[in-house]
This record gives sequence, C-alpha cells and structure tokens, in this order.
Amino acid sequence: MEPDLVVPTMEAIRRWAGVSVPNAAARQGLADMAGLIAEVEAVRAGMVFEDEPSSFEAALADLKEPAR
Amino acid sequence: MNAPVSADLTALSMTEAADAFACGEVSAEALARASLARIDAHDRTVNAVIRLDREAALEAAASQDRARAAGETPGPLAGAPMMHKDMYYRAGKVSTCGSKIRRDFVAPVTATVLQRLDAAGAIDLGTLNMAEFAQNPTGHNAHFGDCHNPWNLPYCTGGSSSGSGAGVAARFFTAALGSDTGGSIRLPATICGVTGLKATQTRVSRAGVMPLSFSADNVGPLVRTARDAARFLRVVAGHDPEDPTSAREPVPDYEAALNGDAKGLRIVVLETGFLDGADAPVATAFEDSMKALTAQGAIVTRANAPEIMRAVNAYTAVISRVEGATIHGNWMRGRAGDYAIHLSARLYGGYAMPGHTYVEALSRRGPLLRRFVAEVMGGADLVATPTLKTRVPTLAETDIDADPANWDRFMAVSANTRPFNYLGLPTISVPCGFDDRGLPIGLQLAGRPFAEGTVLRAADAYQRVTDWHRRAPVLP
Repeated sequence: MEPDLVVPTMEAIRRWAGVSVPNAAARQGLADMAGLIAEVEAVRAGMVFEDEPSSFEAALADLKEPAR
Repeated sequence: MNAPVSADLTALSMTEAADAFACGEVSAEALARASLARIDAHDRTVNAVIRLDREAALEAAASQDRARAAGETPGPLAGAPMMHKDMYYRAGKVSTCGSKIRRDFVAPVTATVLQRLDAAGAIDLGTLNMAEFAQNPTGHNAHFGDCHNPWNLPYCTGGSSSGSGAGVAARFFTAALGSDTGGSIRLPATICGVTGLKATQTRVSRAGVMPLSFSADNVGPLVRTARDAARFLRVVAGHDPEDPTSAREPVPDYEAALNGDAKGLRIVVLETGFLDGADAPVATAFEDSMKALTAQGAIVTRANAPEIMRAVNAYTAVISRVEGATIHGNWMRGRAGDYAIHLSARLYGGYAMPGHTYVEALSRRGPLLRRFVAEVMGGADLVATPTLKTRVPTLAETDIDADPANWDRFMAVSANTRPFNYLGLPTISVPCGFDDRGLPIGLQLAGRPFAEGTVLRAADAYQRVTDWHRRAPVLP
C-alpha cells in the first residue's frame, strides 16, 4: 500500500518545481523516501551539532596531514 | 630509434609508455596505432568507446614525435595514449554525457584538465562510454548500450566511468579520466581490476566538466598503477582560476615520494557498514591485503563508527539528490521521457527534499569530517575498506529498468564508496584479488585531507609486493 506522503509530495513537487511524475518508478521512489526521512530524524535525535555556520573547506584545511 | 620495449605496446602502463617515449625507445605514433588497433579488434564486445578521434590523435602523436626529434624535452605524459569519459568538454567537439539529451551537444570550452593533459603531451584518442549523466554506479546505458566487463562480458563494469574502467583494463589505452561523485572512479576501478584515484574534494579543477553534484564531484584518473596515478595527478591537480572552488594547496611531486615503504603507516580498518556482511571472497582478499601491508611494516588496527557513518550516509543521499535534481530541472520539466527510467525516477526524488534539510546536510559536513578524523582515524594515516563489499554483479542482476526488484543490489554497489565523497577525503582503489568467478576485487584506502601522497605511497608499496594490478583479461 502506498504511503500517505506520496500524493501530497507529488503535488508539492509539481507546484514548486513544475515537474510531473515521469514514471511508476519515480512514484515508487517517493514511497521509499520515508526511509530516508527516518534516517535523517534518527541522526538529529542522536547527534548534537553546533547551530553555527561551519565551513567544510575550512575543515579540509584544518585537518591536513601534518608535515612528515 | 631503438627496438620497441615490448612486442605489444598496449602492455605498457602510462608511466612505462611515457618513459619509453621520453628515452626514444618508442614513437608516439606507434603507441597510438597500437591502441587504435586493439580498440578496433575488441571494442565491438566491450563497448567502451563512444567516439574515436583517430586522425586527430595520430596527428598529435606525430607532433610529439617531431618535437622530440627536434630536441624538445617531452612532457611527463608525452606519447601516452588516453581516452576520457564523455563529459570532459573539448571546444567544438560533441560531449554526449552518455545521454540522449546531449547527443548533439557541442562543447563551447575545453576542460582545464584536458588542457593540462594536452600540455603534458598525452595523446587523446577520443571519448568513452559512461552512465547517463554519470548517474549510476553500474555502467548501464540505455542510449549507447551497456559497457561490458572485459574480464567476463555479462558482468557489469561499475560506473559511472564505465568505459574508463573497462578500457584501461582491456589495454585499449594507458589512462582515462573518470569522475567520482559517489564512487564513479573507484567502482569501475575495482570491478575492472585497475587503479582509480579520487583526490581530496577541491584538489582538481572541475572547469569544463559536466556537473552532477556541485558539492561532491571529483575529477581523477583510472590507470594501471599507483605510480601512474601519482604522475597523472601531479599534472591535473592545482588551483585553476576557471574553477574558484579549486584548492590553492601546493601540488607536490607525488611520484618522487613513492619509495615502496609502508613501514610505520598506521591503517584503520573500518568495519561497521564496510566489512560486515562482505561476500567471503571479498573479505578474504581484503584481509590478505592487510596482512601484506602489515608484513611491510604497516600497523593495522580496527574501528567502528556506526553513528558517524549513519549521519554521513543520510546526508550524502540528501545532497546528491537535491543537487542532481537542480542541475537537471529544465530537462526534467520538458524532456523527462528522454532519460532512462531509473534516472528520471532518481532525479524526481530530489525535488521532494526540503531546502532546510539540504542546508542541514551541507552544514554538518565540516563537523562530521572533524569527528571522523578525530574519532575514527585518531592518529592514523589511512582508513582501509573493500571498495565493493560484494562480488561483482552481472549487468542483469543490477538492471533496475528491467526489474525494479534489483534496486537494493543496485544501490549496494556504491555503499562503501559514497561516504568518502561526503567526507571529501582522498581515496584510491587498487586491485587486491579475484573472486571465485574470476572477477576483480579492490582495496580502498582513504587518507586525511590533501594526503594524496600518503595514499599513493601505501598503494604503490602494496603493488610492489603484489601483481594483481599487472593481470590482464583475455579478450574475445
């Protein structure tokens, strides 16, 4: 049975992006989105991050290998 | 001219070919003709090539020969035949990106990496098959035909740089550019039994390269050896004014630092999610590779990081889908039917992601990288995993357009490679064995940011005591 989120998500995509569902596989993909949402929610529940802007490029530079 | 260094010039690696040319043992034209002959003989079954630029390549080779005869010093890649994934733009040439939509797209510029390879004397033979818009990890292509694994044709090549991996493995040419957003260099490298390097995010310019995901796209080589990768990377790496995101870090002489010594290298085997549940031949080959490095003096330890990796995997999925959907927005609005079914389906999902979740995924990237380096790597130099946790699947087993039930097997292909794109770390795949069906197995090594030299040193040390990378398939 198709999850409740599918039809309203299709409508939101159509409104915001102007994209219609291209095929049955795409619709099935939206149904599978529930799993990813659950994963993101689990991450939010399990990890604490500072809510300040954080630069990935700065982290790359800071974490460089020490000179050998 | 001296006698050729080998009866079969296609047996030479990139550095062997360039060195043989530099010292006058072989002409660039002979190298190019040997490659073209091998492609003519065997690509009908492998299907690695999209376009051969035969005349232009022979003229470029002749130009290298004339320059050497005139006493000019050859470039570091002079004479080495190469082909590249069909998403590197060359002004005035068609760049299909493996798609129907861009079948006739004429590139307005030449990619910086192609300019750098040209300047180094590499001979560009043409363009290579790839997953449509570089968007799948298996190499299926509905528009140009699937690329086939040279080791066993019904098996997949890995993707998205399918022609790059298959062509280097088949000895069609010495090196190829691939691109890597979730494993698209390392997967065809492991599955086809060659060496593939994804450098640190921002290390190599992406100017003139088809975008897939702004945050995670990487440019890099598929070659036969770590030494090849070292020389190739030195040529293409470094800041590019045409790509403001490219790093300003100095580019060292990676090849000069290859000393065959793994003594004292600290390697962490990442188990959870990467090694648990691996197919037996893969686990055995991987553990044997750790024993080989230990015998060379490396110190191997084990680690698990389920919480960090769960976050990395979740946020990776968000970023790649949103950025892909954004890039393809106009075509998804007007030409969705011109994509393969699995690709339009995947892109469509990206429009469902809220903006705040995308920004959240991006904003966690720096903190998660810091945690990964501190808590997983600790004081270690490298992280090791199998590149692909399963045995190589067949094309049929991973064809999700033919059977959506193949979805889990399809996605599992890139499970071990995707996290290193989110983390941005330099990562290499080198051959480390063969499974019970005769298909290659790969060892993945990741280093700290900008530690390509250490990654290459370990890979080179491993290849000095093994010969997996020297084995070649017998082509039909």
